[in-house]
Amino acid sequence: MSTIAETAFRGRTRRHMRVDGWRWAGRLFLVFMLLYTAVPMIWMLITSIKSGFAATQFPPQWWPDEPTLASYQKLLDPQNSVGQDFLRFFWNSLFVSTVTTILSVIVAVPAAYAFSRFSFPGRNFLFFAVLLRNMFPAVIFLVPLFILMRVLGLMNTHGSLILTYLTFGLPLAIWLLKGFYDNIPVQLEQAARIDGATRFQAFILIVMPLSTPGIIATAIYSFIGAWNEYIYAYTFLSKNDQLTLPVGIQRFFSENTTDFPGLMAASFMMSVPVVVLFLVLQRYFVRALTEGAVKH
Amino acid sequence: MTIVTGKAEARRTLQPGRSGVLRSIWEHRADYAYVLPAIAVMLIVIAYPIYYTIELSFFKTPPGLQLRDKTFIGFDNYTTILTSEVFWAVTWNTLIWTLGSTLISFVLGFATALALHRDFIGRGVLRATLIIPWVISAVAASYIWKWIYHSDFGIIGAVLVGLGLADRPPNFIDNVSTVLPSLIIVNIWREFPFAMIMMMAGLQTVPDQLLRAAKVDGANAWQRFWHVTFPHLRNVSVVTILLLAVANFNSFIIPWIMTGGGPSNASHIWITHIYELAFGRQRWGVASAYSVLLFLILMTLGYFYVRALSGNERKEGSS
Repeated sequence: MSTIAETAFRGRTRRHMRVDGWRWAGRLFLVFMLLYTAVPMIWMLITSIKSGFAATQFPPQWWPDEPTLASYQKLLDPQNSVGQDFLRFFWNSLFVSTVTTILSVIVAVPAAYAFSRFSFPGRNFLFFAVLLRNMFPAVIFLVPLFILMRVLGLMNTHGSLILTYLTFGLPLAIWLLKGFYDNIPVQLEQAARIDGATRFQAFILIVMPLSTPGIIATAIYSFIGAWNEYIYAYTFLSKNDQLTLPVGIQRFFSENTTDFPGLMAASFMMSVPVVVLFLVLQRYFVRALTEGAVKH
Repeated sequence: MTIVTGKAEARRTLQPGRSGVLRSIWEHRADYAYVLPAIAVMLIVIAYPIYYTIELSFFKTPPGLQLRDKTFIGFDNYTTILTSEVFWAVTWNTLIWTLGSTLISFVLGFATALALHRDFIGRGVLRATLIIPWVISAVAASYIWKWIYHSDFGIIGAVLVGLGLADRPPNFIDNVSTVLPSLIIVNIWREFPFAMIMMMAGLQTVPDQLLRAAKVDGANAWQRFWHVTFPHLRNVSVVTILLLAVANFNSFIIPWIMTGGGPSNASHIWITHIYELAFGRQRWGVASAYSVLLFLILMTLGYFYVRALSGNERKEGSS
């Protein structure tokens, strides 16, 4: 009797230990990944509140003796030449990203709907063309678009950026939105049409409201993409008052490479809008991104 | 009736049959109105550039931007590329960069997804934190890591010196032998969250009953993972790996901002090399020929991507 109980007991502990082993390995791994992810970001924040002198000491001050917000004040001060530039870059980025987002959504919504619902000759070919666009790097399109922008007289304008950002924003938007439309039952539209609605009315009145989460997710995705875009802006813009943040920051600090706190503060400020947007709406966002790939 | 209700009907409508393709296109003219704006944009900024790049790859251009004065030289640009030493060095770098970044990002992302699969307090916050590197701009990431690797004030160097592992802070990105791995670490930092998101979504589709049944049958945690979970995630893994591979193959910002391809080409990958050929040295013809080769490679990868995706759809249709 006792031996049976003992064996059972011993068996259970061993199994528990094994399960705990995996769980602890998992936790340890998560701690490692958290350090890998967070330490660089924390170090950016710590550096951004140092003085230029404190940042260039060895060994580094893990926490500044005299934390200061001077770098942020400088960047946000419209009276200061640094602040003037930074704020202008910020508004330029905001303008280009917003216009790109609105245009992508306006053009992509009907296209995605058509790809999801209609069958017309060339549908599959066109959709795969859209899908394949995401595989090609900006560099392939850069030389001809550079020439095209010169011919169109769009060099050094935000129009050149908006037009090119549509090239990667649109395919992505179409792909994401199609996933959403695929999940909205066709029967809803059919019911509306039996009640006398035209196909277009059914689309506007029934499908559009249901796909709002998808449209929001798509909008965030194109906004973040446009906000972070670098290579086209780097190539098409050369005048200081036109630059967007990623390029502006680079121009700005290549002249004064010793202002590390300023550079870190600028990197932080550039990340804030997209991170906030993402954190607020991450549910939609993650769903939209993974919908197409994980269906079984 | 053009609303598609099923795969079979879609196929039937797509077949021109007796009426002919033109007539079928005409019948569907209203449908095209929805996609026309999208197609118009894509034609201007995608189809034309591709055509122009192919054309330019057979020409030699004078220095500067006088691209009208180009002369036809056939395949010379291509032979120039394939016989140059830099090409092979850069190709080797691209291979290491793409494979290293892709595989490690995938494994780390997958492992993180598995570790996050069980519910615990603070899981949502942890997940959101782990995703942030993927959301912030690659330019910001490059500057952050450049600062971390800094040979005088960098934090990693300081830790190594503090632990007595080095006499002075090592020069991570100014050194031919360490520059590529150092950049790959930055790239993985930005990309593993993508793999994590994809695999987390995939894990949610693994049926619980199957795992419980395996447990009843006496399978241990590793066996359950290897025989139940992993086979179930095959499709999403393939898609994720392909998307990562393409993104890595196409990276520009991190190598360009952190090192500009240096020192002595040690961190040049195809994309940065093409950029330098075109906008640095204004060798438009050679750069275009490179782009065409790149295009062909990506078309091949794209073929597998589309196949993986339609594999998903077939499964979806049959179940």
